[in-house]
Amino acid sequence: MAVLGSSRPNQAELHGRDVRRLRHGKFLIGVATTVHYLVVAMTLALIGTILVKGLPAISWEFLTSYPAEGMTQGGIWPMLRGSILLMVGTLALTLPFGLLGGIWLAEYAGDGRMARTLRASIATLAGTPSIIFGLFGLAIFVLKLKLGTSLLAGWFTLALFSIPIVVLTTEQALRAVPESIEDGAIALGLSRWQTIWKVMLPSALPGVMTGLVLTVTRAAGEAPPILMTAAIYYSTEKLSLGWETLKKPVANLPYHLAEGYRQGGVIPEKIIWGTCLTLMLFVLTINLFAIVIRTRARKKAGW
Amino acid sequence: MVAVASPVKHAVRAEDVNLYYGTKHALKGVNFAAPSRQVTAMIGPSGCGKSSFLRCLNRMNDRIPGAKVTGKFEVAGMDPYAKNADLMRLRRAVGMLFQKPNPFPSSVFENIALAPSLHYGIKGSTLEGMVEETLKRAALWDEVKDHLRRSALELSGGQQQRLCLARMLAVEPEILLMDEPCSALDPISTGKIEDLISELSKDYTVLIVTHNLQQAHRVSSQLAFFMLGELVEMGDTEAVFESAQSEVTRDYLSGRFG
Ligand SMILES: Nc1ncnc2c1ncn2[C@@H]1O[C@H](COP(=O)(O)OP(=O)(O)OP(=O)(O)O)[C@@H](O)[C@H]1O
Ligand SMILES: [Mg+2]
Repeated sequence: MAVLGSSRPNQAELHGRDVRRLRHGKFLIGVATTVHYLVVAMTLALIGTILVKGLPAISWEFLTSYPAEGMTQGGIWPMLRGSILLMVGTLALTLPFGLLGGIWLAEYAGDGRMARTLRASIATLAGTPSIIFGLFGLAIFVLKLKLGTSLLAGWFTLALFSIPIVVLTTEQALRAVPESIEDGAIALGLSRWQTIWKVMLPSALPGVMTGLVLTVTRAAGEAPPILMTAAIYYSTEKLSLGWETLKKPVANLPYHLAEGYRQGGVIPEKIIWGTCLTLMLFVLTINLFAIVIRTRARKKAGW
Repeated sequence: MVAVASPVKHAVRAEDVNLYYGTKHALKGVNFAAPSRQVTAMIGPSGCGKSSFLRCLNRMNDRIPGAKVTGKFEVAGMDPYAKNADLMRLRRAVGMLFQKPNPFPSSVFENIALAPSLHYGIKGSTLEGMVEETLKRAALWDEVKDHLRRSALELSGGQQQRLCLARMLAVEPEILLMDEPCSALDPISTGKIEDLISELSKDYTVLIVTHNLQQAHRVSSQLAFFMLGELVEMGDTEAVFESAQSEVTRDYLSGRFG
């Protein structure tokens, strides 16, 4: 096309530019691919190590029996039980407050100065290291409110750690619901609350659930918040469900790991790796549950 | 014209309506009346305030920060702007269909059942019966009767709009506000909605905003022409199309601008 092509770069020039662009692109894709494989490799190495080292330790026996011989033998049932207890209570406390807080921020708080300050504070809390919550829990729940080192103090501390995050994720999920849907509900004569409860929240449910479960399971795996509020290292106590239990400290998986490692040598490595794997599976199982429920909810909504 | 003893009944009446969005004067002294059980079409160039006017009637403008409405209204026998106005009751009496179909992300059944079950406590087989009936009125039943539990979002755009129509009818309104209900639809779906509108006007007062003059001609018996926030002309559709009073209206109808 010589007639049209006079002012355009010639084929050779074009080709050169394309080749450079192509090389540039190939280089970036190469970097991205390498990084991607690195991340996958690291994850696999992590999971692989824990699996290889932990799997031999794990058995039904290991999960359901008490430690024996000064922790050098036996299972980790009290720790698993403690973690389950901590998580259930944390979930029960976080659910209502996190949800209501998120609803309030998304639907009622508006965008005024107060709301913005509040939002910033909550975001700060959500990013605060968990050890700070542990210290706060120690000062307020354990000492001031005289709950002592107890399951109850642990629940409150972990809930305090989780609620800000859940408030934010819930707010995000609600804000992601298209305004046209809210308009539709209001135009049908639904009250503000009916609109939120019956239309907005169900529409946002997958997102709300994800935030809630991810946060609470993360909380359940955290050692610092319960270090000084709820944890006990050695527990062979049979558990009777009752008020008394709430006032007692609990053994649990993350603390067992932290302490087991620190007291180096007392607890056999095998048991530590087993505990490690158990904690991982514990978190994984709950997340799996959440995914199943979420997919169901999503399928029903057709999102 | 024959002298009629009883004057025309108006389902919607608005006098000297002014609407401000902040400092923007979006509706200027609008006087409007829509007779009961007829279709009133609202036309006019983009941005002239048609949607804004519709939203005044069921107070959806409340949801826009900075919107301020003045004027005298009577909508479905209520004063929407009375101090003690019951907004939920108002919106039950005045349904609204939006430009883009906006079904809830739940099942077809739940889309329709939600409002009546909340408003009137309808349950069980009564509810199922009323869902079926409203879907039939919206000419959607045959297409969805086998997947009532499927997500409404799996329906086509035209089906979704008819679902929204059914959802609105299920609340038993008197007045139906429709803001360009066909603008996102194909010609066949549009035809279906138009047929429905004609059918519905036997029982409901319909106000429809449209950019499609043929559509306005086909479905309406009253025509209101808006421009730059003013209601320029209003009257029998045939009469306005044939011999509009104002020159701007004539120009607009003949396609000289818009
Ligand atoms: N939320 C809002 N905030 C500020 N101004 C608005 C808002 N909504 C509409 N307006 C303004 O009010 C005027 C009327 O808008 P409206 O949407 O009622 O017009 P319309 O006739 O429905 O137009 P279209 O045919 O394009 O839908 C426009 O000038 C628009 O810019
Ligand atoms: Mg509009």
